[in-house]
Amino acid sequence: MSKPTVGIFGLTGCAGDQLVILNCEDQLLDLVSLIDIRDFLMASSENDDDCLLDVALVEGAVVSQRDAEKLRAIRKRAKILVALGTCAVWGGVAAMDRGADRRKLLQEVYGEMGLGYDSAATQAVHEIVKVDLNITGCPIEKDHFLAAIGNLLNGDAPVYPEYPVCSECRMLENNCLLIERGELCCGPITAAGCKARCPNLRVACVGCRGPVSDANPSSLLAAFEEKGFDRQAIAARLRTFAPQGGAQ
Amino acid sequence: MKSVVIEHLARVEGHGGITVELEGGTVGKVHFDVFEGARLLESLVCGKRYDEVAPILSRICSICSSAHSLTSLKATENAFGVQISPQAELLRELLYQGESIESHALHLFFLAAPDYLNFPSAIALAAAKPDAVQLGLRLKKLGNLVQETIGGRAVHPVNVVPGGFGTVPTIDQLIELRTALREGMADCDAVLNVIASLPPTDFCHCDTAYAALLSPDLGSYYPGDEVMLVNNGDRSRVRAADYRMLANEQSVLHSHAKHSSFGGRPFMVGSLARLTVNAQRLTGRLAVAMQRLQLQLPARNPMDNNKAQAVELVSDIERALHLVEHLLRDGIKDERPAEVKVRAGTGTGITEAPRGLLIHSYTYDSEGRITAADVITPTALNAASMELHFRRTVEQCAEREEAVLARRLQMVARAYDPCISCSVHLVRRQ
Repeated sequence: MSKPTVGIFGLTGCAGDQLVILNCEDQLLDLVSLIDIRDFLMASSENDDDCLLDVALVEGAVVSQRDAEKLRAIRKRAKILVALGTCAVWGGVAAMDRGADRRKLLQEVYGEMGLGYDSAATQAVHEIVKVDLNITGCPIEKDHFLAAIGNLLNGDAPVYPEYPVCSECRMLENNCLLIERGELCCGPITAAGCKARCPNLRVACVGCRGPVSDANPSSLLAAFEEKGFDRQAIAARLRTFAPQGGAQ
Repeated sequence: MKSVVIEHLARVEGHGGITVELEGGTVGKVHFDVFEGARLLESLVCGKRYDEVAPILSRICSICSSAHSLTSLKATENAFGVQISPQAELLRELLYQGESIESHALHLFFLAAPDYLNFPSAIALAAAKPDAVQLGLRLKKLGNLVQETIGGRAVHPVNVVPGGFGTVPTIDQLIELRTALREGMADCDAVLNVIASLPPTDFCHCDTAYAALLSPDLGSYYPGDEVMLVNNGDRSRVRAADYRMLANEQSVLHSHAKHSSFGGRPFMVGSLARLTVNAQRLTGRLAVAMQRLQLQLPARNPMDNNKAQAVELVSDIERALHLVEHLLRDGIKDERPAEVKVRAGTGTGITEAPRGLLIHSYTYDSEGRITAADVITPTALNAASMELHFRRTVEQCAEREEAVLARRLQMVARAYDPCISCSVHLVRRQ
């Protein structure tokens, strides 16, 4: 059987999800013997940028026309398109205030010249093209990526946790940062899968994996207000990694 | 008019290209094109509470995410006058060494080495030189182990907070690190062998100015707040608060990164600059490593940055081991972060990220909300110097065949280890 063809792409972001792939030091050489990576600009200077792909892995958000065109071209080539990481799945940090006046921001930063730059309000991948699988996380967890590749090789659909970070945190028997220490912890509404990395280290969850599917922000809002936080601080915290209305 | 255009640089972090115009025998415009999308993070972060700033601005770049986090915290702590404990200082420095080990191993073995040996990637190289690629993977993993243990995650550390750390590592974790670092020490010789065996490359020969943090403890990247510039025999010092003297940036249309110079002259930051500025540290194992790699300072060839990274890889592993042994000897204390009392003010943090000087400067209001953020990254500082070296590369190449020029230009670009996501930083106009 021929090996499935794979492309790994970065739109606008920090390249952290591609780096997680390269950080699979123990599995990387086995991985490349099982899949045929045809297009991976971050790791190779010889790429086929035209071939059909069984799987396209796309990280980063769409912040320009250039990104949008690149993404549409990838979609045309790919049987399965996977959004890799919070920026691709939700828009990520660049989308946190996407209602802001883009022209004003560009001008503030780059002067008049900024107005000539190709720049648009940040969008997640699913807002431009159809996405077949989401792997969230900022960055993605290594084992989620490896499981996805294993599952796709076997023709299975990967399954990821559909419960909040709190569930994982409680399993680890941590003291609750929100209830017991009054910290602004986003664990109750954030998708699990990180083994509660932050609260497990006594650091409040910042919500970097995006909202869990059955999130109940209004109940969290009430809990925060009870702890004395003002609405502005809460709103800012809740939309850091996923913009309002970005739920899919 | 003929041009050499490298549409999209491969094996670098982010999206950039090179354009060189040739007018007969002379070189016209030379551009390092940066078309990484603008995320406007420095504007978007405004209004956030002080403890939310580092997790947001670390997302500027993954490979340097520990450096961005810690430089961010240094700026915030300076603004509020927070003093972190000596133990936290050591742990932060250890995290830096871990990041540098990972970053240098990634760059040397996965991004740069394939060029010298005419392979498109480390994956292709693995078939011909499995030992070298395995060595690179082992060292990358070592750097990531340090980052996971101290920072809580290899990419975008979660355990670093204003005032110190969420949780300090356990003795068992430090012992595990010590074992891994000792194994890493045993790999250093092989690193030097691999790098010394690469074919010599000298595509562009010219005087180069260098800038790096004056390291109070020589081998460290985190402490210190004074930058030294070395330009031939001249040495100038710039204090952290005056960082704008270095980053007198200009917007240019071909790039979302701004260009910097000092005294009208571009300068280079990164491994080669660090070794040049802190030359007193090049004794013992490092002097031997320099000799093995035939690295002489000050270098007149930017490709030597690869050799300098190999020397630093050796010194990083040695220093990380030293730090772990120090922490084990003194006994690690389970301490909470230092208390943060917010106040209105400005703070600047300068450190040495794997790719060179990194500067974060913030202004806070009296409630601890950030009102202005300025981030100057190594790749942005390097952009003008890269263009100068691209120009010299083309000028000094006897051939005019596009493939030859393109290969050389790409190798020079990669020697800088550019991090293009980083370079698209947003600086408020002064």
